[in-house]
Amino acid sequence: MATASETTLVTTRNESGTKWWTRFLDPSEGTLAALLLLPTALLLTLIIVYPVCRLIWTSFQNLSLTSGLPASFAGLENYSLMLDDPVFWETTWNTVLITLITVPGALLVGLALALMANLPFNVKWPVRLSLLIPWALPLSFAGLIFAWFFHSEYGVVNDVLRRIGFEGVIWFNSANWAFAAICLTIIWKTSSFMALIILAGLQTIPRSLYEAADVDGAGRLRQFFEITLPLLKPAIVVALIFRTITALQTFDIPFTMTRGGPGTSTATLAMYIHQNTVDFLDLGYGSALAVVMFVLSMGVTAVYLRMIRARG
Amino acid sequence: MSSVSFRKLEKSYGSLRIVKGIDLEIADREFVVLVGPSGCGKSTTLRMLAGLESISDGEIRIGERVVNKLPPRERDIAMVFQDYALYPHKTVYENMAFSLKVRGISSAEIKPRIAQAAEMLGITPLLDRKPSQLSGGQRQRVAMGRAIVRRPQVFLFDEPLSNLDAKLRGQVRTEIKRLHQAIGTTIIYVTHDQVEAMTLADRIVILKGGEIEQVGTPDEVYNSPASVFVGGFIGSPAMNFAKGTIRGGQVTFDGGAGIPLHDHSAGKVGGLEGRDVVVGIRPEHFVPAGEGHALSGQVQVVEPLGSDTLIHFALGQSTLTARVAPEMRPSPGEALSIGVDPSRVHLFDAATERAIAR
Repeated sequence: MATASETTLVTTRNESGTKWWTRFLDPSEGTLAALLLLPTALLLTLIIVYPVCRLIWTSFQNLSLTSGLPASFAGLENYSLMLDDPVFWETTWNTVLITLITVPGALLVGLALALMANLPFNVKWPVRLSLLIPWALPLSFAGLIFAWFFHSEYGVVNDVLRRIGFEGVIWFNSANWAFAAICLTIIWKTSSFMALIILAGLQTIPRSLYEAADVDGAGRLRQFFEITLPLLKPAIVVALIFRTITALQTFDIPFTMTRGGPGTSTATLAMYIHQNTVDFLDLGYGSALAVVMFVLSMGVTAVYLRMIRARG
Repeated sequence: MSSVSFRKLEKSYGSLRIVKGIDLEIADREFVVLVGPSGCGKSTTLRMLAGLESISDGEIRIGERVVNKLPPRERDIAMVFQDYALYPHKTVYENMAFSLKVRGISSAEIKPRIAQAAEMLGITPLLDRKPSQLSGGQRQRVAMGRAIVRRPQVFLFDEPLSNLDAKLRGQVRTEIKRLHQAIGTTIIYVTHDQVEAMTLADRIVILKGGEIEQVGTPDEVYNSPASVFVGGFIGSPAMNFAKGTIRGGQVTFDGGAGIPLHDHSAGKVGGLEGRDVVVGIRPEHFVPAGEGHALSGQVQVVEPLGSDTLIHFALGQSTLTARVAPEMRPSPGEALSIGVDPSRVHLFDAATERAIAR
């Protein structure tokens, strides 16, 4: 309880606290919170909010640097153009297909790799290093390496196929084979990232749970489905969010392996955005395409987050 | 329900021997506690019995079956782990039902079994909760429930109370004893806490450095410790030890004071005139001056406990502790005259530290 002299002191401070600088030196909790958040809020506005708003605004404009005309408001024209653009639909479908194939593919391969890496090896670092290397390689570098692997004459893949009695495949002449080669490369490149996240999840599962399951009579397979998989769900969902968003933005690997060919059969939405903005300098249409990709990514993230919340 | 036997049981990790040839017979329905300090091999022994650790040498039998090579699920045992090892994503009911489902038991049979076990442990209202929604004591009871529904031949407990606070530990200890009385299954229980060992066990196995130091009932290990280690480990506060020499029918302390040998002890140490010994006296075996043989010392510290008083006093080179009546409150520095009953004095060989006589 405050004494009389303390009460007097507080009253005096409140009376003299009307000056702005005393309020700054002794701010209320709300003011202090706002002051502490201000630098972060400013930074986020500068590097995220402003570019996104600018992108959305540009998507409503006619802005082509090759036309020589000043930017003009176009309303929804860029978006209506998109609906009649077969390349937009093809590249969007390719992007969705790459996501639908490579995300589950990388998840399965990553899960298998993580389970292997979690085995009680005496020396762990070579296993961990072999997981890190594909993850650390630049995407375009992986694309170039695998373009050589799938080379019809000199590639290691055709060499192996011929050695085991099959005919070699001219990978990049066929839309389907080229698409398959790209998907395989993306799975190779991204499964190590999945494996690292799942491995971190695996290492949080206490060993005693498996011992209890041993005593309870559960075999290895049952332990995997009854203990490992349910307890890995949070790690898997996080890995899926990251991987799906980056899969929707696929660019480097198909760009370095096929340049979107044959035709536009392996081109992705990100490549089409790049083509419109960088090659054709059509910033209005390119921005509209980018907004569509942004909405797609946000939609997927919202679905995953809802899944996490539903699971409690 | 079944007996358990260890024959020349060994466990080594490379050149490091953890368990060194343990021989032990545990009778059907017996409650045996393996007790000892950290690193004595008690948990390793239990885990070898469970099948969670391989055996380096020797033999383990459950009933008439040698189980050395059998996986845990074929040993018909149930285990309560130190961290309870409850499946965090399953409800209490699902945790308890898991082992039964795995063994192909029908839901119609599982339900009444779980209901009965839950009733016995007072966890019926918790059956729909997840482990994260339970307190430490409730988790402990669920872990026991999961073991009970199995109806195994042997229950194994690996330091099950070490994660509970002191008050709860006392409550759950009583529940475990009540449980053993109700179901009568063989229990092998590992702890480093001598109070748990004394209160729960039919027989206590005291381990030190991977070897059995003594096996006996709580009374036997308390009243007739086989070594200085056992004497010091069992009992709280710990037994007092002082160096002495046997001379002319009495044991003389380094400081000059002596205690006459009890008739029974004198018979045993008759041929040991001049031998160095370690004298062991439990704090609670000091008596008021005038009763028993009197010793004189100097009070160092007094600890009033309410129910009684602990007096730490110097006797020659040694510092001893006496547990006396609560009204006895000498001051530090004061001269102390206190009695000791020669029949409660333990003698250990100074070289081997094994018991000579009491």
